[in-house]
Amino acid sequence: MKRRAWPLIGILAFGYAFLYVPILLLILYSFNESRLVTVWSGFSFKWYGALLHNHQLLDAAWLSIRIAATNATVAMVMGTLAANALVRHGRFRGRTGFELLLTAPLVMPDVIIGLSLLLLFVAMQQLIGWPTGRGFTTITIAHVTFSMAYVAVVVRSRLGQMDASLEEAAMDLGARPLGVYMRITLPLIAPALLSGWLLAFTLSLDDLVIASFVSGPGATTLPMVVYSSVRMGVSPQINALATLIVAVVALAVVIAGISLGRKPGR
Amino acid sequence: MAVTTDRRLLEPWQDPKAPPYLRIDRVTKRFGDLYAVDDVSLNIFKGEFFSLLGSSGCGKSTLLRLLAGFEYPTSGRIFIDGVDVTDVPPYSRPVNMMFQSYALFPHMTVEQNVEFGLKQDRIPKKERQERVGEMLDLLKITELRKRRPDQLSGGQRQRVALARSLAKHPKLLLLDEPLGALDKRLRESTQFELVNLQERLGITFVTVTHDQEEAMTMSTRIAVMDAGQIMQVDTPTAIYEFPNCRFTAEFIGSVNLFEGKVIEREADQVLIEAHHGGTLRMRSFHPHPLGTPVTVAIRPEKMRLSEAPSPDGVNQLRGIVEDIAYLGDVSIYRIRSNGGQLVEMTLTNHQPRTEQALTWEQAVSVEWSPTSGVVLTE
Amino acid sequence: MSQSTRHHPKGRRRLSRLVNIGVPYFWLGLFFLLPFMIVLQISVAETALAQPPYTALWEWVADGLLQIQINLQNFMLIWEDDIYLAAFLNSLWVALICTLLCLLLGYPMAYAIATAAQRRRMLLLMLIVLPFWTSFLIRVYAWIGILNSNGLLNSFLLWLGIIDAPLQILHTQTAVYIGVVYSYLPFMILPLYANLTRLDPALLEAASDLGCRPLRAFFKVTLPLSKPGIIAGSMLVFIPVVGEFVIPDLLGGPSSLMVGKLLWTEFFSNQDWPLASALAIVLLAVLVVPFVLMQRLQQNMDEAAS
Repeated sequence: MKRRAWPLIGILAFGYAFLYVPILLLILYSFNESRLVTVWSGFSFKWYGALLHNHQLLDAAWLSIRIAATNATVAMVMGTLAANALVRHGRFRGRTGFELLLTAPLVMPDVIIGLSLLLLFVAMQQLIGWPTGRGFTTITIAHVTFSMAYVAVVVRSRLGQMDASLEEAAMDLGARPLGVYMRITLPLIAPALLSGWLLAFTLSLDDLVIASFVSGPGATTLPMVVYSSVRMGVSPQINALATLIVAVVALAVVIAGISLGRKPGR
Repeated sequence: MAVTTDRRLLEPWQDPKAPPYLRIDRVTKRFGDLYAVDDVSLNIFKGEFFSLLGSSGCGKSTLLRLLAGFEYPTSGRIFIDGVDVTDVPPYSRPVNMMFQSYALFPHMTVEQNVEFGLKQDRIPKKERQERVGEMLDLLKITELRKRRPDQLSGGQRQRVALARSLAKHPKLLLLDEPLGALDKRLRESTQFELVNLQERLGITFVTVTHDQEEAMTMSTRIAVMDAGQIMQVDTPTAIYEFPNCRFTAEFIGSVNLFEGKVIEREADQVLIEAHHGGTLRMRSFHPHPLGTPVTVAIRPEKMRLSEAPSPDGVNQLRGIVEDIAYLGDVSIYRIRSNGGQLVEMTLTNHQPRTEQALTWEQAVSVEWSPTSGVVLTE
Repeated sequence: MSQSTRHHPKGRRRLSRLVNIGVPYFWLGLFFLLPFMIVLQISVAETALAQPPYTALWEWVADGLLQIQINLQNFMLIWEDDIYLAAFLNSLWVALICTLLCLLLGYPMAYAIATAAQRRRMLLLMLIVLPFWTSFLIRVYAWIGILNSNGLLNSFLLWLGIIDAPLQILHTQTAVYIGVVYSYLPFMILPLYANLTRLDPALLEAASDLGCRPLRAFFKVTLPLSKPGIIAGSMLVFIPVVGEFVIPDLLGGPSSLMVGKLLWTEFFSNQDWPLASALAIVLLAVLVVPFVLMQRLQQNMDEAAS
């Protein structure tokens, strides 16, 4: 296929425009003096200033980041264990059920996960008195439940690609199973662990619906604040927030690109 | 007397009293319904370079993995140096393996790879470094010590893998297709190097290969495997010259097979009536009863080809040249016998090809002496 | 032999098995499976002015007498009241249309990326994934500013002179379509791309060698072989979209009622936990078929890979 088909390139260009124009417009209008979207009344940083003084939003952002980091760490461990189980333990009893439970959260509508977990927490509180109240803990548990599946997918594919004889070689040279895992397997799947962690972090930071169900009074996450202000219509502060998020992501991508590019031997 | 002692030292398998270094005792490995290794018994002696030879799926790799401890036998025992290691996990066995893919740890340097096994044994740092240095010297890879596996060529990787598996001075070194990943030229030089290394270190080598040339060049003895079973164990010469069954005869090199039945027995010879016509006279020490169906196996290079049959010859077959394949050093002739059988034979090209007399469709005669082949009963 | 089996060294793997399988299994059982049982239980309870706002399913009436009360009214209501049925049908319709639209746009994109030069491929793919790392909520919000009656799209069309008066796009079903396709497009492209790159280019060369023209080769070779990718991508879009809340809530209007939003309203605004639970159960039942289809496909692919 050396000849490039022009209609294909046209569709590709349209697709990328479709994906990126809304984001670019958000960024552009975050610097707009006016409240109105259609009117450009001059360049200004005033919405960024307002954002920095929006304590409700900053508190929510801090809570969201703490939840996201805790979630990502727990989900990384859980997802890695699940991936080990699927790749290493072959056809164990109950494997089908295990896979089902692990895949379902990937596509399960958020409203169902949110509602069902809330009802569980309420029932548990009635029955055993835990969790007392809802907030950081319940949101984190809920997020781990669906984001560990994403980690498992990423780690599983990396584990599957790994040459099985590497672990056998280590064992042959005298390393015990735990030593093999620590000294050979983990270093080799580390990139997958990192991307799994980042994925879980992003999913948690992004979640509105599940968090709305399982949070309680006093625990408001960033998406919940964004949602309530967005429902009122267009808000330039949110544009500024979006721009900051895009900037952070872009920075992370550039750093990742550079560190990958510097990797020895290709 | 002195001669026999010598021979027993060099070929311990000839001595019924010699203790085996590796003893495989009626080992079977089953995967579901598949017998990957089927009731295999084998004795291997100290200092041997032993090859398991067979096509893919014959069970040779499973047998090697059983020796390494990656698989455990369904039944049977394995002894190394008199110790039962059947249930010993791989990390506690005095055995190391060189993997077909080399399995070099990609996140470690050459030096760290070689050092890995010594570290597991908690050998003091100073001694460890000395031994790593020795190994790198031995395999002439000292200048590569700081490189990572992805910065090495195929041949260099093979040396690192060898250094890593030898560093712990194992009682047994297992090699899974040790030359399989190298290109043809490198393979030939490495074969001799591997044999020299093994002789210098005195470590017992067990290798798995599907390449008969490789097995023939390097091994003290070869075990030919098929469908999980060992068909024949013997020296390369004996395996080639005196195959004990049709499988080995056909698997190693090329062979012409003539089926027939025994019609007469003399002192050390039998007369065989071939199905495709003619009577064959072969040397055989087996007391075949008259009427036994047998197969005569003759290697292509052990036959003579002439335009007319010699007057006093035995084992003469007349036919016409059907095909000639010119390979440079030798030519392969395919001759259709008057009885309808296709016979393949190899002739060394002593003269430039243009001056050779034989050509297509020519009537010829094929002959061989009674000692040139073997008589097989299965 | 029985002796050796008993002391089998594989017993050493038991702890690793227990941790690797047991821990995630326990977590998912407790926080994913068990909650569905509770949802099922509450869906047959009655609303009550209590904390929590539903009646208990069973009660110890007297010594040893257990009274169980199952209330199927919620399910009857969902069946009888047109608004719920309409919401379900509309959700399925939106999911179907959006899956098709994603396929229509995503397939050529995935194909173009998969056949692009090796060094460009990673960049193109990363550009597909990148929006996913920014906030989903904010990306949906961006469309409010674009689709508004005095928004950018209308201003642009007015300026071009294509329309005379602003179009009402926001708060219509069209806005929901746009929002869903925009948000879920990467989920369609990624499995398709993964599938198409695995396709051996020699197959197309063989087809053309045997006299097949490029377009025909595409329909006879590439398309049939990319079926697993098409199904996987479609399920990844279809299933979550049926229960989508944010997009219909922010971009949709009264005519584009979807079950996710309805469930949210019943729960948060009407405080009717049993009815919300019943909706969740019905939604779950609706999604079982496509989910099992997806799972089966996944297993087939795993088996083919190993």
